[in-house]
Amino acid sequence: MSMIRFDNLSKRYESGYEALRSVSFEMDAGEMAFLTGHSGAGKSTLLKLLMLIERPTSGNLLINGKNLNRLPHSKVPFYRRQVGVVFQNHQLLFDRSVYDNVALPLQVAGYSHGDIGRRVRAALNSVGLLDREKHNPIALSGGEQQRVGIARAVVHKPKILLADEPTGNLDPQLSTEIMALFKRFQDVGVTVLVASHDINLINRMNMRIMRLNQGEMEQDGISYGGY
Amino acid sequence: MAATNSKSRNSAQRGARGHVLSRLDRWRSYRDHHRSTLTSSATKILREPLQSLLTILVIAIALTLPAALYLGVENIRQLSGGVDASAQISVFVKKGARESALDALSETLEGLSGVASVRYISAQAAVDEFEALSGFGSALQYLDENPLPDSFLVQPLLVSNAERLVTDIRQLNLVDDVQLDLEWLQRLDALLDMGRKLVLALGAALGLGVILVVGNTIRLAIQSRRDEITVVKLVGGTDAYVRRPFLYSGFLFGIFGALVAAILLTTLGFWLAGPVDKLALLYRSQFSITGLGLGGVVTLLLIGGTVGLIGAWLAVGQHLRKIKPR
Repeated sequence: MSMIRFDNLSKRYESGYEALRSVSFEMDAGEMAFLTGHSGAGKSTLLKLLMLIERPTSGNLLINGKNLNRLPHSKVPFYRRQVGVVFQNHQLLFDRSVYDNVALPLQVAGYSHGDIGRRVRAALNSVGLLDREKHNPIALSGGEQQRVGIARAVVHKPKILLADEPTGNLDPQLSTEIMALFKRFQDVGVTVLVASHDINLINRMNMRIMRLNQGEMEQDGISYGGY
Repeated sequence: MAATNSKSRNSAQRGARGHVLSRLDRWRSYRDHHRSTLTSSATKILREPLQSLLTILVIAIALTLPAALYLGVENIRQLSGGVDASAQISVFVKKGARESALDALSETLEGLSGVASVRYISAQAAVDEFEALSGFGSALQYLDENPLPDSFLVQPLLVSNAERLVTDIRQLNLVDDVQLDLEWLQRLDALLDMGRKLVLALGAALGLGVILVVGNTIRLAIQSRRDEITVVKLVGGTDAYVRRPFLYSGFLFGIFGALVAAILLTTLGFWLAGPVDKLALLYRSQFSITGLGLGGVVTLLLIGGTVGLIGAWLAVGQHLRKIKPR
């Protein structure tokens, strides 16, 4: 069964703007794919639908076989706990340490103190920032901040990892490192969907690429350098 | 044995799946979160001392005013309890009663339950007093006989007993008429009643004020923690989780405000105690001021906490909804 399934999904905002038009695709559990397209093509909207920040206007969105359209508002937080999200602006909180930032999804889900400590350190270790746990994220470099964001996105071992322009303001070498990190999570069975317009980087990864154009799925397939 | 085995296997599976928590774990972490939220809310209040102090003082004043009025009314009520002595029943005897009958009546009156003392005033004594006090003494000379009857002044033990005593006395032989002068006591009672209603009205108005003040403070707190709320919601924080710290803040503001109010009221009590004692001494009264007391402080804290919580609840309900994602 596919982990993510978009079934003729459309999203029209209240302003009348049509962000997605009848988009359909499937992703299997443990699959990794890139979502690309010009800005305004609908990448962010697609991710927002997956995070239940927005609801579709028509069509069905199935996660692990369950239709999200039928999920009541009160169950939304519990759905979000199965999803990890990496933001372009990383959305870290500067009023607390790196450790506390990464611990947030666990605190919210009600993990015990001991559990939190173990999992946070494991997550920080996986992004190579274990020695920074007591720092304030504001003191870290852009690449390090993004890695803290990734650690926070995976600390609760989500089934799905979403990333919105995770390499937006990073240099090519750092971007490659970040992508390699995502690949590692895919290797342990996480379904990873990365929205990015960094064509060069994506082409180097030899992975499935879905290209949106003005809200429609223009291309879906594996690209080897060509494109 | 088998049970332990299956249990340990279960927990191993749980560990492997990674996001399944036992009920006990959940409860512990829920309790821990409440505790840490309480402390972090308290430290947040203390970290912005000026802004917090302002809010707390406004709450304190709003609580002090009706509480002080309440204490005033209660003290006056107690004072009025000490003036039972001034409620007297005048018992007028039928004309022409013989000496022995009067003695018997006096004894009967003294024997009634709830009677503190009985004083006999003869018709002649009454006329003498009237002459001395009214200044119409010469008018009495034109009358053939003394128009005033013999009478008794009955002192009830309690004002509340007086009405019953009057009906009892009315049924006795030889008794012509009974009068009870409770008018000024009833006026005081009405005044106290009004005072109590004023306490309620003032309390309600100022309680509403506290709700608005706390609501506004919490609204500002929500705005300044917008980023945090957004992130918490995105990583799966429930509405209750997001609400909790703000509700605690409101509750604590109310409690702190009530504490300051209790201190103000106690100080006021001490400040007034000296003059009140002096005044009581001048009136040869045992009266001394009654303060808030432990029960009063607890009630004040409860009211403060509740009102703060309501204010926070209203603010949270209104402003959290506006922060995306929902």
